[in-house]
Amino acid sequence: MPIFEGLKLAFREIASHKLRSFFTLLGIIVSVGFLVAVVAIIQGMNAYVRENVAGAIVGKNAFQIRRTPISVGFIDDEEWRELQRRPPIESADAQFVTRAIPDAQAIALQSGWPTPQADVRWGNRTVADVLVFGVTAPFQVVQDYEMEAGEALSEVDVRERRPVVILGFDVAEKLFDNFNTAIGQRVRVAGTMVTVKGITKAKGTVLGQSWDGFAMLPLPVFEAIYGRRLTTVISVKMTEAFMVAGAMERAEEAMRIAHGLRPNDENDFTIDTAEGLISFWEQLTRVIFTVVPAVVVIGVVVGGIVIMNIMLMSVTERTREIGIRKSVGAQQRDIQRQFLAEAVTLATLGGVLGILAGGGLAAMVAVLSPMPARVTPWSVGVALSLGTGVGILFGVVPARRAAKLDPIEAMRAEQ
Amino acid sequence: MTDTIIEVRNLTREYQMGAELVRALRGVDMSIYRNEYVAIMGPSGSGKSTLMNMIGCLDTPTEGEYWLNGLEVSTMGDDALARVRNREIGFVFQTFNLLPRASALHNVELPLIYAGVSGRTRREHASGALSRVGLSDRVDHRPNELSGGQRQRVAIARALVNEPSILLADEPTGNLDSTTSEEIMTVFEELHAQGQTIIMVTHEADIAAHAHRVITLRDGRVHSDTKKAA
Repeated sequence: MPIFEGLKLAFREIASHKLRSFFTLLGIIVSVGFLVAVVAIIQGMNAYVRENVAGAIVGKNAFQIRRTPISVGFIDDEEWRELQRRPPIESADAQFVTRAIPDAQAIALQSGWPTPQADVRWGNRTVADVLVFGVTAPFQVVQDYEMEAGEALSEVDVRERRPVVILGFDVAEKLFDNFNTAIGQRVRVAGTMVTVKGITKAKGTVLGQSWDGFAMLPLPVFEAIYGRRLTTVISVKMTEAFMVAGAMERAEEAMRIAHGLRPNDENDFTIDTAEGLISFWEQLTRVIFTVVPAVVVIGVVVGGIVIMNIMLMSVTERTREIGIRKSVGAQQRDIQRQFLAEAVTLATLGGVLGILAGGGLAAMVAVLSPMPARVTPWSVGVALSLGTGVGILFGVVPARRAAKLDPIEAMRAEQ
Repeated sequence: MTDTIIEVRNLTREYQMGAELVRALRGVDMSIYRNEYVAIMGPSGSGKSTLMNMIGCLDTPTEGEYWLNGLEVSTMGDDALARVRNREIGFVFQTFNLLPRASALHNVELPLIYAGVSGRTRREHASGALSRVGLSDRVDHRPNELSGGQRQRVAIARALVNEPSILLADEPTGNLDSTTSEEIMTVFEELHAQGQTIIMVTHEADIAAHAHRVITLRDGRVHSDTKKAA
């Protein structure tokens, strides 16, 4: 019997037991759907992190010189203690870097992690839990801030320690009815009286988190409130992406000189780009990627056992049919092929339905949340081969049993 | 007319039923020739079903030889027997043994599928066989949409479709009323007239009377073998 006949028979058999086939396949559908959906969502998030989050935190064509790396995810205690022994980044370091990279578009200092939150108060209005940054003027270039009203921080503001503040769009919107009259108003940030100098244009939200809920102070003013912090960061922005790598090398050189390191000493600072953040994120998702297949394999194996069970049941149910087929000349391999084709068709159908379900779920996530979801070809490929593989693996036993039936006994069976 | 189709020598079949050894056939010798119409009779337990399975290549003997159309069938394995059944034998059963969810046409096509005949030729041959038994207007009906007599005609069409050496009928009228039984016997008569060799197992004397030769079994041996004068 040609394969084609077997497949035709298989489809007819499955079509005549639609509900039973569906329930048989539920395990496979759920497992494969889960695989496709999770992979799609994580891939979507990866792309999202790459395109939006990383750029927004570090800045476009920019890198950071930090005491500790951005990706602090998986380090042991020893490494942690090592990091704790590093000296903080200071404004003197920034001067070394500035001299080493004269072609930088902007080099800024900014207060680092953890960013404090404080109330911002104007008259009887208060906006609570506003993120407070301390920065030097070039930081606004690094982050591509544009002003909605008023002016940006200047070098002079920083040098003279002027008590001024740049408010993020969301904060200003909640405090003032009219942005133009807001400029020059005196507000309290964490209890300290400062004058509103500018309001930034909205940057929007990333992962549901607003980027516009901040108050930006000149670094010395920030340090007067919160003290000097160990986590100050130097940001360097280049005009073009291709300049970043060279600039990072020169920055490393400059930092080693600034910290008086000898040729054999390890760096006691870290130079990170958005790549650092992305690789940290990808480290995280790699963990998910190792767990998900395990879960999926368990699900698929259980689904395969269900298929095997139903196929065994089907062999028993159709004993008489098998007997009839054998009596008119079906050989063992004909019967085996028929039942194997049925199991494989069934399982592959499960794979296809799972892909549709997973794709649907991913699309739903994409519509209902800010995260995009991308169904990747490799997950579809894995899903399909899982389905087919399970069909073959768990179809063999029932198919062999069917093939080995004695035709006389089989034809005597109840129908 | 003396062309041998079936040659059986000392055919013996024993079954182990628990502790007991059942000797269903105890050395049967017989020859059947092309275009004979033979009835095999005998009371229940005489071994006629066993002989029928043996002749139908569904079972192999414990001892003895069975030559079918020049092939020694008694030593064949499972798959070789399946090929012989496919080419040489057309079965008609008491309980029809049709696939319940398949149309009459598909049921008749079944042996051709396993013979590796391609789709279109298959349908042509199958509908040809159905019209030979007078069912060309029931091609798309399922067994449960047909009467008992019609079902048995579908089974006969299926048995004929591969142009087998022998048509082997096991109590073909056992599930039919007497009028329908006569109809089926008429069909057999016509097929025999067209040159078909027919072997029919039955315990009904009036059905056996249609055959031209009657072999009676008793206790696993041939008891009598009488030819009707033509």
